[in-house]
Amino acid sequence: MTWFNAWLERLYQTFIVADRYSVLIDGFKNTLIITFGAFLIGLFIGTVVAMIKVFADGNPKLKILDVLCNIYITVIRGTPVVVQLLIFFFIIFVSAKNGIPVAILTFGINSGAYLAETIRSGIMAIDKGQTEAGRSLGLSRMQTMTQIILPQAIKNILPAIGNEAIALLKETSVAGYVAVVDLTKAGNQIKNTTYDNINPILLIALVYLALVMIMSWLLGILERRLRKSDRR
Amino acid sequence: MIDVKNLEKNFGKNNEIHVLKGITETIHKGEKVVIIGPSGSGKSTFLRCLNLLEVPTKGQIFFEGEEITNPKCNINAVRQRIGMVFQHFNLFPHLTIMQNITLAPVKLKRMTKEEADKKAMALLERIGLPEKANAYPQQLSGGQKQRIAIVRALCMNPDVMLFDEPTSALDPEMVGEVLDVMKDLAKAGMTMAVVTHEMGFAKEVADRVLFMDEGIIAEQGTPDQIFNNPQNKRTQSFLSKVL
Ligand SMILES: Nc1ncnc2c1ncn2[C@@H]1O[C@H](COP(=O)(O)OP(=O)(O)O)[C@@H](O)[C@H]1O
Ligand SMILES: [Mg+2]
Repeated sequence: MTWFNAWLERLYQTFIVADRYSVLIDGFKNTLIITFGAFLIGLFIGTVVAMIKVFADGNPKLKILDVLCNIYITVIRGTPVVVQLLIFFFIIFVSAKNGIPVAILTFGINSGAYLAETIRSGIMAIDKGQTEAGRSLGLSRMQTMTQIILPQAIKNILPAIGNEAIALLKETSVAGYVAVVDLTKAGNQIKNTTYDNINPILLIALVYLALVMIMSWLLGILERRLRKSDRR
Repeated sequence: MIDVKNLEKNFGKNNEIHVLKGITETIHKGEKVVIIGPSGSGKSTFLRCLNLLEVPTKGQIFFEGEEITNPKCNINAVRQRIGMVFQHFNLFPHLTIMQNITLAPVKLKRMTKEEADKKAMALLERIGLPEKANAYPQQLSGGQKQRIAIVRALCMNPDVMLFDEPTSALDPEMVGEVLDVMKDLAKAGMTMAVVTHEMGFAKEVADRVLFMDEGIIAEQGTPDQIFNNPQNKRTQSFLSKVL
């Protein structure tokens, strides 16, 4: 078992000496913060954009907003997220010292473009009779949307939203391109200081995998709960 | 109560589908008007124009003297006074029966939550479904759903109720319970416009029967006139098929 002891010694040298694991913990926290913050922003932008696109259908007054939304979606989906990150950090927020808020904003804006399409298709899938019932009671377009359509739409597209959150978590691994030490960057830094090319990388891979599995599991629970409420 | 003047409605990208071809009609307060006619004749479109679910292409509609076809009209306020019941119920599946009924009156600040709950409960008692207050629409039969849909519209205290084939999606054994609720409503003095194929209901409840055909009101009169002595050939041929 000498190789095993050697490996343990290697792990000790790589992660424990000089408290290097604390870099990983900070990186882990940053990855979670960026993912969570970006997801909330993405959900907000996605909902607003989806609503504009739905309302603009047959309402010429919203034509300009609709065009702006289309440009937003085309540009965001047509460029790599790393490039967007570089643009935000080095062109738009040149004076930003802390990369984390910039990363949250960038990933949020990025995720919003994908969520917008998902949410829009969720809204379109709700029977027109639901809108008509709401409007016939005197509810405004907006009230009908927020009280009647969106709750049903979000419930139906929850799996897709969950998948977007999972994709977002993994995408944040490029946050290290700007001055952010996320989980990936932390692993990379330890690799560079310790010349251990294997263990830091395998460790962060395991952490991502565990996070994704936890998210899938939570999503499964949520979906099963909602499905049960359908059968009630 | 409702005045319709030269109402026309076209559908299609270039308005190429002419559905309503000039309808002039008045529905008086307390009146029960039943609209019959072949499928595709424009009955639903006519009814849906009355609360602007369809926007008329030409003509004017007045509700209590207010021109609702005027773009400046606050249509949401007008719709609060016009209840509508749909063929497919359109209950909100994510809300309980109680929430279905009280959502609009509370959100539109017509009542406090307590007032709305109380009123909803009273209405549920009236149709014999108080025990369903906390159920979800999926747990109800079609007939129960449609009775709840009627109650949902009634909770807004509307001045008029529009019904678009309220029993057409129901199993035959459930038609009666829905018609009974509508008859009660008629007895209570509600102004009603009902599109239906239930000729028995029309004979019993209608003050006036309108026969629609190809986008116009081809003939109208009392149930006795329409059912026992129709003048128009189209009316005769339609009635010979459905009676
Ligand atoms: N949204 C629409 N777009 C295009 N055509 C429509 C639309 N709604 C109704 N129509 C057409 O208008 C005609 C009348 O429809 P409708 O009013 O539903 O008739 P009814 O209720 O008497 O059966 C039908 O030919 C139908 O296909
Ligand atoms: Mg119809």
